[in-house]
Amino acid sequence: MLLKLNNIFKWVNSGGQRVFLLKDINLSVEEGEFISVMGPSGSGKSTLLNVIGMLDNFDEGEYSFLDEPVHTLKEKHRANLYKQYIGFVFQSYHLLDDLTVQENLEMPLLYKKVGSSERKSLVADTLDRFNIVGKKDLFPAQLSGGQQQLVGIARALISSPKLILADEPTGNLNSKQGEEIMELFKQLNSEGVTIIQVTHSEKNATYGSRIINLLDGRKI
Amino acid sequence: MIKNFFKIAWRNLWNNKGYTAINVGGLALGMAVTLIIGLWIQDEISHNGYFSKKDKLAQVFQSQTFNETTGTGPAIPRPLERALRDGYADNFKHLVMSSWNISRYLKYKDKSISKTGNFMQSEAPEMLDLKILKGEKDGLRELNSVMLSESVAYALFGEEEPIGKTLQVNNQYDVTVSAVYEDIPFNNSFHDVEFLMPWDKLIATQEWMKNAIDNWGNNSFQMFVQIADNITMEKVTEAIINVKKDLNEDTAEFNPQIFLFPMKDWYLRGNFENGRQSGGRIKYVWLFGIIGVFVLLLACINFMNLSTARSEKRAKEVGIRKSIGSQRNHLINQFLCESFLVVLFAFFMAVVIVIMSLNGFNDLSKKEISFPWTNGIFWISSLAFILFTALLAGSYPALYLSSFKPVDVLKGTFKSGRYAGLPRKILVVLQFTVSVAFIIGTVIVMQQINHAKNRPVGYNKEGLIQIPTFSQDFEGKYDLMRSEFLNSAAVIEMSASSSPTTRIWSNRSGFDWEGKPEGFQEDLAWTEVTPEYVKSLGMKIVEGRDFSREFATDSNAVLINRTAVKYMGIKDPIGKFLKDNDEEEDPGPPLKIIGVVEDMITESPYEPVKQGLYVFDKHGNSSYYNLRLNPNQSASQNIAIIERVFKEHFPDLPFEYDFVDDEYGKKFASEERIGTLSGVFTALAILISCLGLFGLTSFVAEQRTKEIGVRKVLGATVFNVWSMLSKDFLKLVTISCFIAVPIAYYVMNGWLQDYPYHMLLEWWIFALAVFGAMTVTVITVSFQAIKAANSNPVKSLRTE
Repeated sequence: MLLKLNNIFKWVNSGGQRVFLLKDINLSVEEGEFISVMGPSGSGKSTLLNVIGMLDNFDEGEYSFLDEPVHTLKEKHRANLYKQYIGFVFQSYHLLDDLTVQENLEMPLLYKKVGSSERKSLVADTLDRFNIVGKKDLFPAQLSGGQQQLVGIARALISSPKLILADEPTGNLNSKQGEEIMELFKQLNSEGVTIIQVTHSEKNATYGSRIINLLDGRKI
Repeated sequence: MIKNFFKIAWRNLWNNKGYTAINVGGLALGMAVTLIIGLWIQDEISHNGYFSKKDKLAQVFQSQTFNETTGTGPAIPRPLERALRDGYADNFKHLVMSSWNISRYLKYKDKSISKTGNFMQSEAPEMLDLKILKGEKDGLRELNSVMLSESVAYALFGEEEPIGKTLQVNNQYDVTVSAVYEDIPFNNSFHDVEFLMPWDKLIATQEWMKNAIDNWGNNSFQMFVQIADNITMEKVTEAIINVKKDLNEDTAEFNPQIFLFPMKDWYLRGNFENGRQSGGRIKYVWLFGIIGVFVLLLACINFMNLSTARSEKRAKEVGIRKSIGSQRNHLINQFLCESFLVVLFAFFMAVVIVIMSLNGFNDLSKKEISFPWTNGIFWISSLAFILFTALLAGSYPALYLSSFKPVDVLKGTFKSGRYAGLPRKILVVLQFTVSVAFIIGTVIVMQQINHAKNRPVGYNKEGLIQIPTFSQDFEGKYDLMRSEFLNSAAVIEMSASSSPTTRIWSNRSGFDWEGKPEGFQEDLAWTEVTPEYVKSLGMKIVEGRDFSREFATDSNAVLINRTAVKYMGIKDPIGKFLKDNDEEEDPGPPLKIIGVVEDMITESPYEPVKQGLYVFDKHGNSSYYNLRLNPNQSASQNIAIIERVFKEHFPDLPFEYDFVDDEYGKKFASEERIGTLSGVFTALAILISCLGLFGLTSFVAEQRTKEIGVRKVLGATVFNVWSMLSKDFLKLVTISCFIAVPIAYYVMNGWLQDYPYHMLLEWWIFALAVFGAMTVTVITVSFQAIKAANSNPVKSLRTE
């Protein structure tokens, strides 16, 4: 088992009332799964993804990741865990504008303190694998949306995470680019990477092996 | 990782050139000011550092009390030497009597120059550890010897060998050059000692000095000492403090206190108030030190403000970095690296600015500071300075930016909260508080100088020159020279006096007069003058009459000034006598007061005029000729004629003269220097603050682009938008003014109290400063505000 959520609650206090963002979420994810999270706007999809990705906290419940109880871990330990096993893909790519494609790919490795030669070979491999060697010295602004997202995924994958969290990865792309990205996810999944994606599109959801529907912070 | 930090920092700076220019430029200016002030302070505190034994050197000082006011100074009587040598020899390694720094004509072949130097006892070169370039260190043993500084030797002999050559001094006697010593540097109390001659030589040529050997009342000499190795200054002072009082009854009533004034205090802590040491130039060291720190702080504030103002742009980056595994300390390091890079750039620019402006600064501050290229300590402290500044400027943005939560900023809903701008506002207030306080301070310094300059001096100082007449050659020539000068038509009146117009060189006491209060210990300025003194200077007689050659009895006449009338408590002074009450030596004849003259400022223009006597010069004691130039010709024409006449009669002497108004102007030099320097620093402080404000407005305008667009669509005019943007900043500056005005009032009021003759602090000075700050703010803000207000709303709304 890769991760397990038990009775997760998350809320904010607004005008004296408690508004639940996540309500009693139970979820277990096995390695190698490809899960699509669906639901209308404001149903808590992204919040759930952020909680799983340890970018956001929750108020109640238990979360274990690779049998480590995340809710009791110290900040630093949690950061290490997530640095090592989780990669993020965003709707608006979120590449670092001041860095070239190559440098963007290198960044997570630097944070993981990977040695220089290993870093270089990993970057070269990844560029090769995603067919973007020719783009390695370009800045994000010089790439199309699809290409940027490709770099975004490449960056998420470069430190070989067990889990990829994708928040509407095709939301800013046209249908052809979107299809290519989804095909890529499918291929990655078949290579053993666990993927959780948030999506609005029924079509994209079908790429996954399991669909979770959310409404008002509840799993339905 | 470090390399990566720098790469990112570099690109970030490069991609935001405007922001970088403001940041680096402002910081460079601030650092340049701090560096220059640092060099200046270093120069000040290393004054006298030339002497290797400076910690052991001291001058013997004396405090005496007249009428409950204690005066302190370096003048001591001759018998003190015997007393200290006989009774306290253990305390001293060297003890050297010295003359004042006096000017002498030195003549070799047909070359004659006027230089200043001291007559000192033979241990002086050893005690001061002068660096001997040629000849012997023990060069004052022979009565007829002279030691010359390198530049004087060069001026006289050029490439010739100076040792063994004979010089003529004041056309009076011959001396032989025994040694040449390295010039004493500019920042040294002995800088003006351009030659040294034996003390005994001076005594041999001056009758009055011989007579002073047993006179405890004649305080006309100086004494320098090097204390013994195993003793402290305090211990020596403790031992000798009452030596004069114990040995001499006559002067005991003035409670003479003899003490050592250590060399390390001469320059920076040379003021005495009622017998106690009371600071001195050290206050300017502190003042400029504080200014330096503040200017740097202003520049650092710019950096902090601009960095945090850009936070919304950087927020996304922080979010991404955190989401791909960065920890907070990575980000802190990254932002510190960025600030280090900026500061390093700024430092190099600052060094360039300093090098370019050092000459101008030296002119302004009367210094000879050079850039310390080869000084290791300078570079090490510079590095420390860079790191310190980088930390100071970078820590707040680093901590602030790195604290963003990735979820918030990546969602795109990030808005800095209501109070996120608060620290920024506080910093702007701080900046303008400093600037406004600087403005007020500078205006007050300038005003005070003007106030003192406009004070009536009591004579006409324009078109008046003085010629020094120290040489023996002038003896008995006064009447001849006067008629020659008057005949030349360059001069309309001329007199001679025993001290220059702008100084008091002699003070007397020991008089009796009708109505003198019991036990009154008078202290009167004493100037001996020829009968034309009042006329040539253009002084005003307020009562009685001027000297006249018609009355033979005027040789025992005296003029007193207005202050003296009040001081001595004489009613109807005309016709009263001043009797010399010295019973031991033969008393001079009584002096008859024939007139009262208007007070004339001779010493400090900030002090009340001292009570003074102008006595008929019977003995030809003149030190200066005072020449009133012919107003119908140009000064240069007059001077040319005077020089020709002078050379006819004194072909061997160099023609030297000073304009009295220039000499008077020198009294303001120190304050004017302070005024100009603080003016320059204030201007820079304001410039730096405005740079920051400019940058800040542009960010605010950018941040509010959408708001401005919406407002314009709803019908806001350019003026509406402009006032909306300006109002915020004006509010901050107003708060600054409220803080700055009381602080400046308090500080400057304290400063003015140091000057007995000072201006009143008026409200308009503060109003002016406040108005100035407001105007500058409005102008700075308007640049951006008007641009933002004129932008096309359709454009700004579409980009959203």
